Amino acid sequence: MSSEVKGRELSVLGVEELIGEIHEKEVQVIAFMLNEELVGVPIEQIIEITNNRDLTPVPKAPSFVIGVMNLRGKIVPVINLKEHLKIPYQIPEDIYRRNKIVILETPKGEVGVIVDEIVGSVKFPESDILPEPIGTVGIDVKFISGVVQLDGELLILLNVESIFNQEE
Amino acid sequence: MKVEIPEELQEILEEFLVEAEEILENLDQDLVDLEANPEDKELLNKIFRGIHTLKGGAGFLNLTPVVEIAHRVEDIFNKLRNGEMGLTPEAMDIILEGIDRLREALQMLKDSRELPDVEEIEELLSRLDAVLKGESPTTPVSSEGDEEGSSSLEGEVEFVDGISDKLKELILQYPDRDLAGILEEIILMPPDKRPMDVIPEIEKLIEEGKDVKDLVKKKETKPQEKEEGEISEEEKEPQKAITSESPSSAGSNSKTKTTSKKAEKKNSETIRIDVERVENLMNLVGEIVLDRNRILRVTQDVEKECRTEAVEKLVEAVTSLDRTVSDLQVAVMKLRMQPIKKIFSKFPRLVRDLARKLNKKVQLVIEGEDTELDRSILDRLEDPLIHLVRNSLDHGIELPEERIAKGKPEAGTIRLFAYHEGDHIVVGIQDDGRGIDSEKVKKKALEKGLITPEQAAQMSDKEAYELIFLPGFSTADKVSDVSGRGVGMDVVASTIHSLRGSIEVESEPGRGTTILLKLPLTVAIIRTLMLGCNGQVYAVPLHSVVEIVRYQEDQVKEVGSFKSFMLRDEVLPLFSLNELLEVPDSNEKAFVVIVKVGEKLIAVSIEKLFGEEEIVIKSLGELLSDIPGIAGATIAGDGRVVLILDLNSLLSDYKTKLIGVKR
Repeated sequence: MSSEVKGRELSVLGVEELIGEIHEKEVQVIAFMLNEELVGVPIEQIIEITNNRDLTPVPKAPSFVIGVMNLRGKIVPVINLKEHLKIPYQIPEDIYRRNKIVILETPKGEVGVIVDEIVGSVKFPESDILPEPIGTVGIDVKFISGVVQLDGELLILLNVESIFNQEE
Repeated sequence: MKVEIPEELQEILEEFLVEAEEILENLDQDLVDLEANPEDKELLNKIFRGIHTLKGGAGFLNLTPVVEIAHRVEDIFNKLRNGEMGLTPEAMDIILEGIDRLREALQMLKDSRELPDVEEIEELLSRLDAVLKGESPTTPVSSEGDEEGSSSLEGEVEFVDGISDKLKELILQYPDRDLAGILEEIILMPPDKRPMDVIPEIEKLIEEGKDVKDLVKKKETKPQEKEEGEISEEEKEPQKAITSESPSSAGSNSKTKTTSKKAEKKNSETIRIDVERVENLMNLVGEIVLDRNRILRVTQDVEKECRTEAVEKLVEAVTSLDRTVSDLQVAVMKLRMQPIKKIFSKFPRLVRDLARKLNKKVQLVIEGEDTELDRSILDRLEDPLIHLVRNSLDHGIELPEERIAKGKPEAGTIRLFAYHEGDHIVVGIQDDGRGIDSEKVKKKALEKGLITPEQAAQMSDKEAYELIFLPGFSTADKVSDVSGRGVGMDVVASTIHSLRGSIEVESEPGRGTTILLKLPLTVAIIRTLMLGCNGQVYAVPLHSVVEIVRYQEDQVKEVGSFKSFMLRDEVLPLFSLNELLEVPDSNEKAFVVIVKVGEKLIAVSIEKLFGEEEIVIKSLGELLSDIPGIAGATIAGDGRVVLILDLNSLLSDYKTKLIGVKR
């Protein structure tokens, strides 16, 4: 939410108040696949990307929690982001092997999320961020802070704050 | 009164506060010691120096109320150490009040950058003045003290040539000070008495590398060179500071003073570190330990496969790394450890004040104050200890007449001690008072409905003593403001238990009581039982496990949909860990763990048992903070996360689910 608003305000300021050359603020996101969707999270909110770490399942935890892992001596929960976002998912047998874990900085501390495939890092000017076109993507609007059109592909920006503040 | 401290002095203020806190902490102990040995010159000097330092710092920062109080207390001690007056308990009370006031003022300063107004402390100041005048009516010590000093020294001292009379006088006035010290004294004098003309002379002498010793010819003169060497070393720092502050105006001089003070303080250097940084360090070291274990394993494999010189060298390097990492781990653990002195040092004062209030005579003996404990335990131990000591004084130690009548020494003794015992620390309080009357305790517990008459009849003395820790129990016939302050013995007990410690009471009627608190060295590490269940390893804190027995089919009885387990001649409800954790059950059980839940024993069957291990507790993070039955997690030797189970809450959670209602 906040970055979307900020983005628009800035672009307005850029055009109307400061005439001439200004460097637009660039946004860098790490893009990855969730099912067929291309989604991204601002790089500032990503602590690291890791594959293939040992996960310890946590009995009696909510079903979206896959387990906990050891991140440099810290215990970090790893969750099934698809389930958490209420989009369709099936857990493949080798979920720990094939998929990558992205460790995010969230309001609930560090949390790992399982993603299908890391696409890479994308940079674009903040003004390219558009409000979410309702109903065109499979992810609930409240988890999205905006979309960006990238050569024919739509990148959905996830709002980490709202995703991890939703419980209860 | 709001205190304005300019930006550039903030740091000095912070330093002053830390220093002042240390001084005051030591003072309490010293003052109580002093009361026992009022003639101890060394102690008097130490106290005087402490107060003097405090006053100096406060003066530099313009903290007038602090200076006012400290100045008077300093004067009193100056008289005391010069033998001009004797110490009475009444005088001591006022001095202690002054020290308390200083402490309060400094706390205020720390919390809100405020100080009490001068008017507020006037009454205290006048009382301090009264103490000062008490024995000998002459007032400020500064003028009094000189004559004293000079008369005692004059005979033995001769000066070298070329020194002004004024300086000679000063040297005689402060016989145990060097030139820098004398300079300090001058700065601390009231402005109108400050001999400004001597200052340049002293500075010049210091610049030349001279000191009092060079100016004074004592009868027993030591070899010259050695002295000079000493002096230049001692004086280097202050000297530098002084030369850089050449003009001798009062302001810059006072700056000189603090600088030189800092140089003197060097020998007991400490830094304060945020606990979070230490935690972070612990985590990182934990990681290194795991990496080391991995390297060790790989090296062993390599060694098996090929034996070359290079591999041998590798093994050597790894072995050395192994040792260093172990040392590192211990060193970091030690960062969290602090000597129990930190809280013990508060007791001399507490006991003294209480004893006076209760008209009892008590001698406090402290032992093992260097025993180290984890800081988080230490912080929580203070209140229980204060409570226990209060109790001893209030209920244990008898009044002097009563003690004499019983043939005991007039003054009671309270012993406060700490020592290591295996992987535990024992902190104890022992008194030689009247002891606990177990019959009286039982009667009281009966009256309050805490036990049944049958229980009372069967109870051993030791069990009876435990009753005092029950909520709602108080043996004092009347609630005094000494021990009846709302925090009861039950709070003591629950605090100790929450630290995973235990309490033991020994008492002999008429002879005294000993209360022992057994505490773990650290809260971060616990002993656990490692269990296997559904292919996963779990840790169960050992303190909740009563016993472990082999699983035998013939000891299991099915009662309806429930199972029960025969342990000797008791029938215990039996659950499998799998059903408690809601994970698939293979029904291959190997062991049964008997746990105590409240007063009842419950059997839990498990698939595998891996043995005992000491582990470091880590939190699961906010996202998973309220999962029933999981107390936290730890990282095993292979880097995997192992969950720590809380069988107690696991069982109660299961029960709620079975019954279908939340209680």
